[in-house]
Amino acid sequence: MRAIWFVSQIALFGLIASRMMSIPNYFQYYVAGLSVMTLYSAAIFIGFDIYEEAEHGVFEYLLSLPVSRKQLVLGRSIGGGLRAFIYVGPLIALSLYVIGAINPLSFLVALFALFLFSFGVSGMSITIAVIIKSSDRFDILMGVLDALIVRLSTAMYPLAVVQAANPLYGGLASFNPVTYAADLFRWGTGIETMTLSNPLWPLLGIIAFFAFFTFVGVIIYDRRIEGGGWQ
Amino acid sequence: MPPIIQIQNLTKKFGNLAAVDHLDLEIEEGEILGLLGPNGAGKTTAILMLATVIKPTEGTALVGGFDIRKSPDKVRGLLGIAFQEPKMLWVATPWDVVNWHAKVCGLSTEERKQRVKQVLETLDMWEPRHKNVHALSGGMRKRVEMAKVLIQRPKIAIVDEPTTQIDIVGKHKIWNMLLELRDEGSTIILATNELYEADRLSDRVCIMHRGKLLVCDTPKTLKDSILGGDIIDIQLEKDASPTVVEELKSFKEVVDIMQVKPTNLRLYLNRVEEVVPQIMNLLMKKNVPINSIRMSEPSLDDVFAHYTGLTIEEAQKDEG
Ligand SMILES: Nc1ncnc2c1ncn2[C@@H]1O[C@H](COP(=O)(O)OP(=O)(O)OP(=O)(O)O)[C@@H](O)[C@H]1O
Ligand SMILES: [Mg+2]
Repeated sequence: MRAIWFVSQIALFGLIASRMMSIPNYFQYYVAGLSVMTLYSAAIFIGFDIYEEAEHGVFEYLLSLPVSRKQLVLGRSIGGGLRAFIYVGPLIALSLYVIGAINPLSFLVALFALFLFSFGVSGMSITIAVIIKSSDRFDILMGVLDALIVRLSTAMYPLAVVQAANPLYGGLASFNPVTYAADLFRWGTGIETMTLSNPLWPLLGIIAFFAFFTFVGVIIYDRRIEGGGWQ
Repeated sequence: MPPIIQIQNLTKKFGNLAAVDHLDLEIEEGEILGLLGPNGAGKTTAILMLATVIKPTEGTALVGGFDIRKSPDKVRGLLGIAFQEPKMLWVATPWDVVNWHAKVCGLSTEERKQRVKQVLETLDMWEPRHKNVHALSGGMRKRVEMAKVLIQRPKIAIVDEPTTQIDIVGKHKIWNMLLELRDEGSTIILATNELYEADRLSDRVCIMHRGKLLVCDTPKTLKDSILGGDIIDIQLEKDASPTVVEELKSFKEVVDIMQVKPTNLRLYLNRVEEVVPQIMNLLMKKNVPINSIRMSEPSLDDVFAHYTGLTIEEAQKDEG
C-alpha cells in the first residue's frame, strides 16, 4: 500500500515537474534523481528489520557471536545497502538506458559512490532505529526525514532552483548526501558535466556520510542495546 | 590453574529490580556447573552478562582471563551460547541456521560440512533440515538451538535450559553430547529448572534466588549436608496433631519435618535405622496408627526446597 502510494506520487510529480522545468533533458535528469531517491528509501528499510529482530530476540543472538561490534554494524549496514541495491538495480539499469551515454571510468566512480551512499543510509537507519526503539515513532520520523532530505536535495531539481526558492534551502541542499549521490550519478552518466565541475567534493561528502554513520552506529548500537535489552 | 571464569560482584539492575545481585563465583576449567533457581532468579541475566550481550550495572567477570567489560570481543571468541528461547535468523531452514552459525564462528568448510551433518543426524534433525524453521515444532526448534553450540564446540559453552520441550530420548542424546563436550575439555554452564538434569550432569551445582547466590557445591555434598542423610515419608491413619509433630522434632536425629498433608509427614533425619523404631513407638503411644512408612534419599528437589524456601509440599498442599 505504501509502495503504491509512493510510486504514484513520484510518477505524478515527474509529470508535473517536467512540464514546469525549463531545463533541457529534464526527463533524464529526473530519472537519475529518481534512482537515487528510491535507493535512499530502500536502504532505509533495514531500520524496520532491526525492530523485527528485536521482537524475535535475534539481537541477543547476533550480540553473542564471536565478531566485534564494528563488524556487526558494518555487516548490517553493508547487508542493508546491498539489498537496497538489488531492489533498485533494475531502476538504475532502466535509467542508464534512458540516459544512454556512459563514460566507463566516471561511471564506475559514480557507482562506487552510490554503494557507499546506500551503506551510509543503511547505517543511518540502523542508528536512528536503535536510538528511537519504537517502530511507530521510527516510521513517522523516517517519513518526515524522507520528505525533507529528498526535497532539500538536487534529486528532483538543480541546486540553482532550490537556491532561488530560498537561500537557506539551497544551503541545506548543498550539504545533503542525497545531493551528492544524485550529482555524482549524473556526473557518472555524463548528464551533468557542465554543472558539476569537480566530483571530488560530493565524493568526499559521501565518504564522510558513510564513515560518520558507521562510526556513530557502532557506538550507539553498543550503548543502547547492551544496556539491557531492547525495552 | 586459575579458574576459567571469575565472577566478581556482578550486578544487573533493571530499574529498581536487582536481577543479579552482587554475584561472586568461580568456575573451574573443564567442569559442568549447574545453575539452578526459581523462575526470575537471575540465571539468564547472569549468563547474558557473561556472554557480553548485556552490560553489568556493577562488578565484572574474567572469562579466560579477559574482562567482560574491557575486552568483550576476546570473551565472545571463547564462548558459545544456546539460548533459552531459540533464536532463529530471519526466515531460514535448520541447515541454514546452523551452517551460518558455524561459518561465523570460523569453522573451516571441511569441518563445517562434517560437523553439521554429524550433529544434525545425532539430534534427529537431518531429515527436516530443509524445512522452514517456522514450520518446526517447539522441541525441534530447541534442538536446532542446541545444535549450534554442539557444532561450534566452544571452549566455554553456556546452555540455558538445554532440554526443555525436548522429548526424553532427545534429552538423553543432548546430555550425552554435553558430557562428551566436557570430556573433550570444554567448560559448561548449565542453567536449568530440571533438577534431575542438573544432578545428572553437574560437577557442581549453584542455587540462585532473587539475584543472589545461595550455595554452590557438588550435588552429593549438597544433598548430604543440610538434610541429614535420609528421608522417611510416613502416612498416618489420622491427622498428626501439632504436639505429635513437636515431639518428633525433639529427636536429635530429626533435622526437619514437613507436613505434606495433615496425615502425611516427611522427616529429614540422620541414622535412620536407630530412630525409626523409636518413632514408631512414639506414634503408637500417641495412638496415631501408621498406614505406611517409606524411606528415601534426598534429591536435589529437597536441596532446592531447603535453600529457596519454596517447598514442594506447599505446591502439593494447594493441589490437595
Ligand atoms: N530486559 C529486561 N528488562 C527488565 N527486567 C528484566 C529483563 N530481563 C530480565 N528481567 C527481570 O530480571 C529478573 C531475572 O530474570 P531472568 O530471566 O534472569 O531469570 P531466570 O532465572 O533466567 O528465570 P527462568 O527460570 O524463568 O528462566 C526477572 O525478575 C525478570 O523479570
Ligand atoms: Mg532463564
